[in-house]
Amino acid sequence: MNQKTLQRGNPVSRFRNQLGHFGDVMHDRWMNAPGWQRWIVYIALIVAALLLPSESIGSFMSPDTDWASILFFPIGTFVLLAIGLNVVVGQAGLLDLGFVAFYAVGGYAMALLGTRMGWNFWLIMIVGIGICALSGIILGAPTLRLRGDYLAIVTLGFGEIIRITARNTDEIGGPNGIRGIPHPPSIEGGPVIGDIEIFKYGVLYPQPYYYLLVALAVIVIILVKRWEKSRVGRSWAAIREDEDAAEVMGVPTFRFKMLAFAIGASIGGAMGVLWAAKSISINPNDFQFMLSATILAAVVMGGAGNLPGVILGAFLVAWLPERFRGLQEYRMLIFGAVLVALMIFRPEGLLPSRQRKAELKEGSGGMGTLGAEVPGPESRGEEVASK
Amino acid sequence: MLLEVKDIHVHYGKIAALKGISVEVNEGEIVTLIGANGAGKTTTLKTISGLRGLTSGRIIFDGQDISKMPGHKRVVAGLGQAPEGRGIFPGMTVHDNLLMGAYARTTNSSKELAEAYELFPRLAERRDQAAGTMSGGEQQMLAIGRALMAKPKVLLLDEPSMGLAPLLVQQIFSIIEEINRRGTTVLLVEQNAQQALKLAHRAYVLETGKVVKSAPAAELLDDPDVQAAYLGGGMGHEVPGQAGQAAPEERA
Ligand SMILES: Nc1ncnc2c1ncn2[C@@H]1O[C@H](COP(=O)(O)OP(=O)(O)OP(=O)(O)O)[C@@H](O)[C@H]1O
Ligand SMILES: [Mg+2]
Repeated sequence: MNQKTLQRGNPVSRFRNQLGHFGDVMHDRWMNAPGWQRWIVYIALIVAALLLPSESIGSFMSPDTDWASILFFPIGTFVLLAIGLNVVVGQAGLLDLGFVAFYAVGGYAMALLGTRMGWNFWLIMIVGIGICALSGIILGAPTLRLRGDYLAIVTLGFGEIIRITARNTDEIGGPNGIRGIPHPPSIEGGPVIGDIEIFKYGVLYPQPYYYLLVALAVIVIILVKRWEKSRVGRSWAAIREDEDAAEVMGVPTFRFKMLAFAIGASIGGAMGVLWAAKSISINPNDFQFMLSATILAAVVMGGAGNLPGVILGAFLVAWLPERFRGLQEYRMLIFGAVLVALMIFRPEGLLPSRQRKAELKEGSGGMGTLGAEVPGPESRGEEVASK
Repeated sequence: MLLEVKDIHVHYGKIAALKGISVEVNEGEIVTLIGANGAGKTTTLKTISGLRGLTSGRIIFDGQDISKMPGHKRVVAGLGQAPEGRGIFPGMTVHDNLLMGAYARTTNSSKELAEAYELFPRLAERRDQAAGTMSGGEQQMLAIGRALMAKPKVLLLDEPSMGLAPLLVQQIFSIIEEINRRGTTVLLVEQNAQQALKLAHRAYVLETGKVVKSAPAAELLDDPDVQAAYLGGGMGHEVPGQAGQAAPEERA
């Protein structure tokens, strides 16, 4: 009986180990590659991203829907949101179940400032990012004293509060939302990729928005990568691995958790602004809890803490259900099965970071599994530590 | 006096964990806190290092009231801690863990780094290993070495001998002695009362959130109550005839 289970378990774990080994080899090769080789890869990736909306790729990737459209939403949108959530969950180790709230704040900032004040998209983008960072701090200030599961519950509540407040506030359109959101200003006679003028924003073609999204993603990725390698990134890693130990090493843990929240919120908000500018109209139902959960699934599945993994995870989570639209209702069943299979074969995610793997083995690493004490919401004493 | 804990009360929710603890640590001393499980030793250390807030009482360090100072600033002030259960960063390498110990420093720490590797040669051998994959004893060494990186005036150690083999316990204790000889004051929490009392200059006995005894360590070694309750020998007069029951954990 025991023997049997062992044998049955073997191929699975063997496969898992092989996958892990392959990942290590690729990772080492990448780390040892000289700078110019990496730059070639980066540039190739950007070029590939720009060529992605072509018909020939689309006919395979998405036979049932317009490929360029789903490249913007859900695929690109999910990727950007996942990069933002990864800062919070993957790097700082804070389980946030209400990330959609910041996307909503960004979306409503664009809609309101665009329709009521007549502001320009670019101005709203900058102001919107500021508003979202601020909302991240406002949410973080009272809640980041909580840990693990408590934080997850509070953030979940916040996500719902934002949506329900929007629905019940007639000044911002109530359940009908806001219509007539302006597009970004077009530049006539700009460069052309495959018959599409890439700076001409209208309702007809999704490509220009997609290119804008790629540009935004490139900027965000560069910034996030820089933070990750800096003292900020090291502080987040320390907080994620053991918050108490980080504090007694001299890391101002509370401040760095706030920073993670604010940065994550800004990225989510920037995506919200861009999305609203393309969508013309938004309403509160665009910001359901399901979206928070899906983005979190993307982050965890891809490999929380590792940017390429997170991007891949978001891509798959967004693309798979679209690809198999032909299967109608069954596609969600298959999608679920794929998620479960992934968690069996790669519990640490598709492309985990090496550090995260070691943490998971040890059982720490944030996201509600904080091994340290978890004081309840009413416990005193948190006020002295980490202010 | 370098560190003075004055009548502190600490609560977890509504539960009082510390009900008025006072501890004094002079410069150059090794002071130990002993007591049964749940007596409040860890809580005392956490409160000193700023991980728990206090309901009342005061903590004076180096002439300054630090009761309201956040934990990360107490490190700069000169309090170093190796937390209970080791508290190393499992995903970081041994070397990166040690560097995290110097996080708060503005001055060069290469001297302390060399010293940590000298005190714990095992760490030098394992420099690039993920700390989470090290053995319990190695993690304990790392936690102590990491705390020393900040060049603390007072080193707070929470059960450094927990879960270690007898030989390693000896080794850890002699290293603590060495650290103290090199000029660091030590506040040591221990279950291993015998060893701790031999090492320390003075000791406090904690029971359910209160200090029930404080004396030079050598005196407590001969104290019948302490022997009965923590050293596994003699007869306690509170529980006459039940010495066997009153002598709890015989520790390896
Ligand atoms: N996070 C917490 N939440 C609630 N109660 C706690 C918490 N941590 C400790 N306590 C309680 O506070 C009291 C003191 O605990 P503490 O950890 O300080 O004991 P200790 O002397 O270090 O024990 P040990 O020798 O077992 O480590 C205990 O009654 C414990 O149950
Ligand atoms: Mg303890």
